[in-house]
Parts: sequence; structure tokens; C-alpha cells
Amino acid sequence: MKQTSIKARYLVNLAAALLLFALAVVIGMTGGSTMKLKITPSLWQCSYLIIMAASLNLVLGFLGQLSLGHCGFMAVGAYAASLFSLALQRAGFYTEKSGPAFMLVLLLSFLIAGASAALLGLLVGIPALRLKGDYLAIITLGFGMIIVNLINNLPFCGQQGLSQGSASSALYATGLGFSNDEKMQYLWVAALVVILCMTVMFMFVRSKYGRCIRAIRDNEIAAAASGINVSYYKVMTFTISAFFAGITGTLYACCNASLSTTSFAFTNGSILNSVFIVVMVVVGGMGSLTGSVIAAVVLFLLNYTIKNGAWVAALPAFLQNVFTYPMLVYSIALIVVIMFRPRGIMGSREFALCDIPKWPAWISSYFASRGLEKSAKKEAANHG
Amino acid sequence: MKQKNLLSLFLACCLAFTLTACGGKTEEPEAGGGDAAPAEEASGETITLGMIGPLTGSLAVYGTHIEKGVKLAIDEINAAGGVALSDGACQLAVETKDDQGDPTECVNAMNALISDGIQLVVGSATSGCTSAITSVANSEGVVMITPSGTADSLTTAMDFVFRTCFRDSFQGELAAQWAKDEGYTKVGIVYCSADTYSAGLRDAFTAACGDKGLEIVAEESVATMTEVDYTNQFNKMVSAGAEMVFTPFYYDVMGPYLVPQARSVGFTGVLLGADGVDNTETTIPDGADLSVYNDVYFVNHYSTELAASDVSTNFVKNYEAAYGETPNNFDALAYDAVYVYKTAMEACGASDAASVQAALADTSAAYDTTCGSFSFDETGTPIKNGVLMGYTYTAGDEDVSKITVKALSLS
Repeated sequence: MKQTSIKARYLVNLAAALLLFALAVVIGMTGGSTMKLKITPSLWQCSYLIIMAASLNLVLGFLGQLSLGHCGFMAVGAYAASLFSLALQRAGFYTEKSGPAFMLVLLLSFLIAGASAALLGLLVGIPALRLKGDYLAIITLGFGMIIVNLINNLPFCGQQGLSQGSASSALYATGLGFSNDEKMQYLWVAALVVILCMTVMFMFVRSKYGRCIRAIRDNEIAAAASGINVSYYKVMTFTISAFFAGITGTLYACCNASLSTTSFAFTNGSILNSVFIVVMVVVGGMGSLTGSVIAAVVLFLLNYTIKNGAWVAALPAFLQNVFTYPMLVYSIALIVVIMFRPRGIMGSREFALCDIPKWPAWISSYFASRGLEKSAKKEAANHG
Repeated sequence: MKQKNLLSLFLACCLAFTLTACGGKTEEPEAGGGDAAPAEEASGETITLGMIGPLTGSLAVYGTHIEKGVKLAIDEINAAGGVALSDGACQLAVETKDDQGDPTECVNAMNALISDGIQLVVGSATSGCTSAITSVANSEGVVMITPSGTADSLTTAMDFVFRTCFRDSFQGELAAQWAKDEGYTKVGIVYCSADTYSAGLRDAFTAACGDKGLEIVAEESVATMTEVDYTNQFNKMVSAGAEMVFTPFYYDVMGPYLVPQARSVGFTGVLLGADGVDNTETTIPDGADLSVYNDVYFVNHYSTELAASDVSTNFVKNYEAAYGETPNNFDALAYDAVYVYKTAMEACGASDAASVQAALADTSAAYDTTCGSFSFDETGTPIKNGVLMGYTYTAGDEDVSKITVKALSLS
């Protein structure tokens, strides 16, 4: 690709990112109960789901390793950030949730959450990534469960410390937890974090490191033979992925103002759990960061509108019965996607704003090639 | 290939529909007999209450029973002419939201109800979910009454959060006192440190045991409230010589796993649970040895057998007429929550959150409920008594039966 067109692409993406950020700031300044009670909390929840799915995609889609304990890193981040903010509040570093001192605390919380999760990712990754396939999945699955149990049994942070009633309102009153009004006010924080994290992840997969890990995914022996240090790159990717998962923990703590380890478990009733994050990556397309973003938003909206949307009530009664069991709907959605788009919504492609003008041409060529295939099949049938 | 895809999609949908057809909602009969035509002439405006509970997921029994209790109370109130406010009588309606037993979903549900303009909420069922929405209720100024969130810290000050059940520390004390009255000296605890409810009860029980001089000989924790293997924990109980084991778990593990496994490792003493054990009879697997459920007791809010007041006999009669089954404590506590709202609204003559909160905050006001008459203490928790219930099975019976042992109150 020509140098100038790449520059143009960067400019378009930069403009889009700035627009998104400006939009978040503007939304934060508007009022209205729908905005405050429905749209803003949804945007906050989307923000952490997006980064979760995209960061898991680094390991699952680009490195080709199955990790089933991704929410464990999120839990580490969430608890590290919450404890840090509570400690600073008790030490009198800040007294209200605004002003430069609180901004500094917020920034440090994100970094500490990311760093602690990354450290754990490194510790788990070094032994675990020497294994392949199913064994890695089992180790990471175990890791997710161990983290949840460890947190539960630590006296200063488990169920006793942060989630139980008064302590949870302590996180809400004095720690990171945001009320609905503060969620509006600080919506730009969520937008900024999403934009920064996604940018860094894109830069990572487009860099020489990204090419190396894709080479490892496609053929480990060939990659090793061409001089790539396979374990080094594997551990590095795993650690980076854990770092971003840790950052989402801070977003979660801000958004929900109450932590309980069931939210970070292997499975639970909602859409935030280690398995469902894997589902998001698969639905979006393994090896497509934009696919993960789309899948996270789509599955969130599906979950949210089943319970709060008007469209379910408009369906005939026998269909409504299906929607009283949301898990059934997700599985049907997954079956449909896998049947018609076996490699996920986006496959391994990326969505790019600059490509939109080319879409009509792509779509017509897609149908043309299908037409050719069909006529070829008919031909073959006639001859057969 | 294409046809195959479509066929499999079609079959998947068929599967989904058949599954849901079994659990499909049929129109429930109107409560209060056949002449339950709502008093149309009295209807001014309609007050909509919000209800949040786990209608799907592993704790669905709680949510569906709360829904039944709320609907029954609303139907009764409407049939009797509605709520008498200062500007005329109002009919009641309910908007129901499912939280799947998950805190995040619970917050979403609460926000959705508030954005629909609802000011009075009944919910949620479990302490974990309820603790996630107390801050929303207080900051948005919406009154909530949880029928069954028993964690101590849910209501700590007189704010917008109330409940119709007792709190865990009281429940733990009742359990410890019963153990002492029965003459046990060596008790054990199996609990889940990961769960607000279980860990809270364990703390309360441990503290009360210390006061009453009961020795805790062994204490074991499991990882989650949905653990399926308790044999190691009960081996420890047996070897430590515990005469009675306190098991604050929910019904979904008591029936299939905890009780049979405790007996299978040779524990023959009493298993004492809390209100979460109610409904265990619904989770006993087919073909299980029913004699193991003897000596399983639990502290509870409410018993139909001890229903003495007019309110509670009426409730049992109407509930059985409407749903064809005996009510449990979730039905009763949710039913109470609606009547508490009604009493408070009539006391202040308005239905907005601020006035109702002020009326509820009056600790001298008494509420006639299915569990007897109570008033709120200074934190919004009722001052009331409990009952001890249990299961019994005599050889030859078809099923275990639920028995009411005695009423419990702190001496």
C-alpha cells in the first residue's frame, strides 16, 4: 500500500477517535433520565466488555491459544484498583470524587490494576504457555477459579471486605464507585480508556511482534525455525492481554460500585464471565479486533434489550416464552452465526472507515463469485 | 449443504420452543375468587410498583415466588378498592424485571425501573444482588423493600432501603440459641466464604455461639454456593465429633448434594440451616434415600402451620385458591412488602418516594403482616420473631414432609 494512503487512513481514524471522545464529553454534559439511567450505564458496561473481548482476542485469535480464565485477570484488576482507591481515601489523599487529586487516583488505579494483572499473567504464563492446546485451557481455567477463591478468602478484600453491604457502599461513597450522575460526568474516562487500549492493541498486532505471534499461530515449528523465540512471544502476548484485562477491572469497579467474585467466575447467569468472553471473540471473529468490538456491543445489546427493550413485548406469545430464558437466545444466536459465518462475523478482517466506499464493489463481487460457484455446481451436477 | 444448514437451524429453534413450551406461562387464575372484578369506579390513577428478582437462573424459585406473592397482594388490594390516598383511591400494578441473580443485571434492572418512573420497588431476592442496588436507591431517591435480603449491612441507617425479613445476625442468634436449648455443646460449621449470605450467617452464628458457650469444634468452607461435593467437609465434622452442623446454604445444593453426602460419610447429627434451606423438598432427586432428610432443620420467617392472625390465614387461603399450592416464606414476605407499601402510602396519603420513605421511617408505625405485627427499627429492619422448621420422613411415605417445630424468639 502506498505511503500516502496509509497516512490518510491514520488521519481518518484519528478524526473518528476524536469524534468519539467529543461525543462522550457531550453526552456527559447532557441531562435527561433515559440518558442517565439507561444509555450511560450501558456505555460503561460496553466499555469493559469491548476491552475484555479485544484483549482475549490477542491470545485466542492472534496467538491461537485457548485461555479460559480471562475474567480472573479482570478480578485482580478490579480488586487492586478498589483497594488502592479506598486506601488513599482513608489516608486522606482525596476527599471528593472530583478535582486533580481524584484524577491522579483514577489514573493510578488504572495503571495499578493493569500492572498487577500483568504480573499475574506473567507468573501464570511462564509455566502455562509451555503447554499446548487443551492443557493450556485447563491451566487457565484453573487459574480463573483459584483467583476467585483466593480473593474470597483474603480477609481484606473478599466478600467480607468489599461487596458486603456497608463496605460496598464504602466503595460507592468514597472509593472508585460512581453513581449514575458521576457515570455521566466521567463518561469521557471510559471513552478515553477504550480508545487508548484499542489503539495500543492495534499497534501491537500491526507491529513486528504482531506478525511474529501470527506466525506462531499459523505454524509453531516453522516460526521457531525462522528464528522466532516462541515462548518469549507467547508469554509477552499473554502478559499484554492480562494487562488490558486488568484495566477493564477498574472500569468495572467504577461502573458497578460493588464487587462480588461471582461476576468474575467461569460461568454465571450474566454475560460477564470467562466463557462468554470466549464466545464474544468467536462470534466477532478470531483475529479481528474490530470483530471483537462489534460482537461485544451486539451481545451486550441483545442481553440488555431482551430485558429492557420494547421489541420483545411486540413478539407473538410463543416467541416471548423463548426470550424469558436469555441463555437460550444466546445459544441460538451463536448457532446462527457459526452456521452462516463459520469464522465469526468479521472473520480475520478488520473494519476500516476508509474501506466503506469500497463496500458496494466487494458485495457485488461476493455475489458474483457465489453465482459462479452455483453455476459451476449445476454444471458439475449436469455432467455427473 | 444450504438445506442442511437451514434444517439444523430449524431443529435448534424447535428445541428451544419445546423447552420453553413446557415452562411457558399460562394465564394464572385471578386471585380472590371469581368475583375479583377490580373496582372500576374507585380507580383514580394507577400506582406501578417495581419488582426485581431472579426469574431465571439457578435461584429462579425465589424470584417466581416473590412475583406470585406480589401479584396476589396487588390483586387483593385492587379487588378491595385499591389504595386510599388523600386525593382518591388508586389501583396498583406491577412491572417485573429479571436480574438472573447477578449484581450487574440487578443494577440494570433497577435503573430501567427508575427510568420508567417507578418510585417504589420490591426486590431483590438475594443479599448479593440487593447490596448492588442499595446505593442506586439512595442516590436516586427511590424506596426499596427487599423481601428476603437478610445481610446485616443492607440496611444500616434509616434511608431508602427497608426489608420485611429479619437480618442474618438475628437469624444466626436464633440458630445458636436453639442449639443451646437443645443441649448441644459441640457444633460444626460448613459454609461458603465467597457468599455474602453464607459468610454473614456464619459470622453471626459464630459470635452467638461464643456468647452462649457453645464450642465450635470444626469449621470448613467451600468455594462457591453451587459446590457439588461436601464429603471432605463432613469427614472433618465427623472426626471432630460435631453433634450438630450449621449449614447456611441455599436449597439448590441442600437437596441433591449436601444432605445425602453428609449422611454418606457417617454424619448422623442435626443439620441446621437458615431461611435459604426452605424449598429443599423441590430439589430432592428421584430415587434418593429419603430417610437422610430426617434431622434437617432450618430457621425460617414464616410457617403456614403457625398462621394465627387473620392476615396470615387469609393469605394462606387466598394463595391456595389462586395458585393451588401452599405458600412459602418468599411468597409471604413479598406479599408483606406490598402491604407495607399500602399501609405507608395510606398513612402519608401520597405515593411518591419521599413521602413513602418518611412514612416508613416512622418507627412507631405498626404493620399487620403474615408473620404477625411488626414495626421497623431505626435501620429499616422489622423487629419480629422466627420459626424453626424441618423435614421428616417415616418409612413407607411417598415423600419427605415439611414440619414446623416451634416458634423462635430471643430470650
